[in-house]
Amino acid sequence: MKKQTPPRSIRALGLRRRLGKIQLPVALGMTLVWMMLFDGFRLRPESLGLLVLGFLVSVAIMLVFPLPPIKPGFRFWPVRGVWMIVYIAWKMFVASFQVTAQVFTPGTVHSSVISVKQRTGSDLMLVCTAIVTTVIPGSVIVEVGQTERELFVHVLGADTDEKVRRAEQDVRALEELLVRGLGTRADIAELEEALASGEGRV
Amino acid sequence: MSEVFVQVLDWIAVLCLLAGALLTLVAGIGLIRFPDLLSRMHTAAKPQVLGLLLVLVGLAIRLVPVETNVFNAGTLALVGLFQIVTIPVGGHIAARVGYRSGRIQQDLLVHDALADRLAEKERAQEAERQEEEQARERAEHQEGRAQEAERTEQ
Repeated sequence: MKKQTPPRSIRALGLRRRLGKIQLPVALGMTLVWMMLFDGFRLRPESLGLLVLGFLVSVAIMLVFPLPPIKPGFRFWPVRGVWMIVYIAWKMFVASFQVTAQVFTPGTVHSSVISVKQRTGSDLMLVCTAIVTTVIPGSVIVEVGQTERELFVHVLGADTDEKVRRAEQDVRALEELLVRGLGTRADIAELEEALASGEGRV
Repeated sequence: MSEVFVQVLDWIAVLCLLAGALLTLVAGIGLIRFPDLLSRMHTAAKPQVLGLLLVLVGLAIRLVPVETNVFNAGTLALVGLFQIVTIPVGGHIAARVGYRSGRIQQDLLVHDALADRLAEKERAQEAERQEEEQARERAEHQEGRAQEAERTEQ
């Protein structure tokens, strides 16, 4: 008996579907990482080869491990984006000293778990807010309610209502900053709507 | 580059490296000093982020005037970027598992929004389960009656 192989057209279709999974921006990003790894930006005879090889490797990775595209994606707003990075770096710096002070204050340090509702519907913005909140000292994400768009944040040293409210405002400010720096137009519109309706204010 | 400029760069690099090392030391002390998982996570993941970044900046400053073939500023930037992106993932998983398996000290928490939410969810699930059970019992009951009726007919 002859072994059954799928007809050619179906195989071609599968290949095409796999090729369709290649996302050009992501491939370019991976090529950039490749170039940085191998010091490809210093002009040398092999720089062009590195570039081509990096692109081929990223395409091969996406063929072997196809991933769903990031929707609705993001866009970088230059002025707001740079401001966002500066603000986060500054926050990190200040909060590091706060945590250091808390480490060296005698006595038990009480904390709180607060819940912060997000005002935008984009998953990417939720993830970005969670990452930045965790990177800034003094707050750790304990739980993410994806369907309710809610972040549960453990705040070190928040033992009064006042401090809890301030921590909540900090997370909200971060979300606003991220959406304005990295969000799509739809995200920003959604945020502004929430701000205008007063729902966003604490 | 002039001598003075190189020296200034050297000093900045040294300061960055020292500050980074100090922050890591603080992280270590905090790890010993704090009593429970969630507070320890702050010190384990935190001054370390800035500490690591400072060490990387110091290294980059030292590396720029010297040409090496193995490391360059690009590699260091990648190290920093991937650290920042991956530390929260590990931290979140640790915190989540710790919280859900009850390995936290409730008396250290002043406010706990998550506990209320989880309790609410559990109650909702419990109610759902009971409803299902009742529905199943009712169905069984009806079935039993139908069988009984059949038997009496026979």
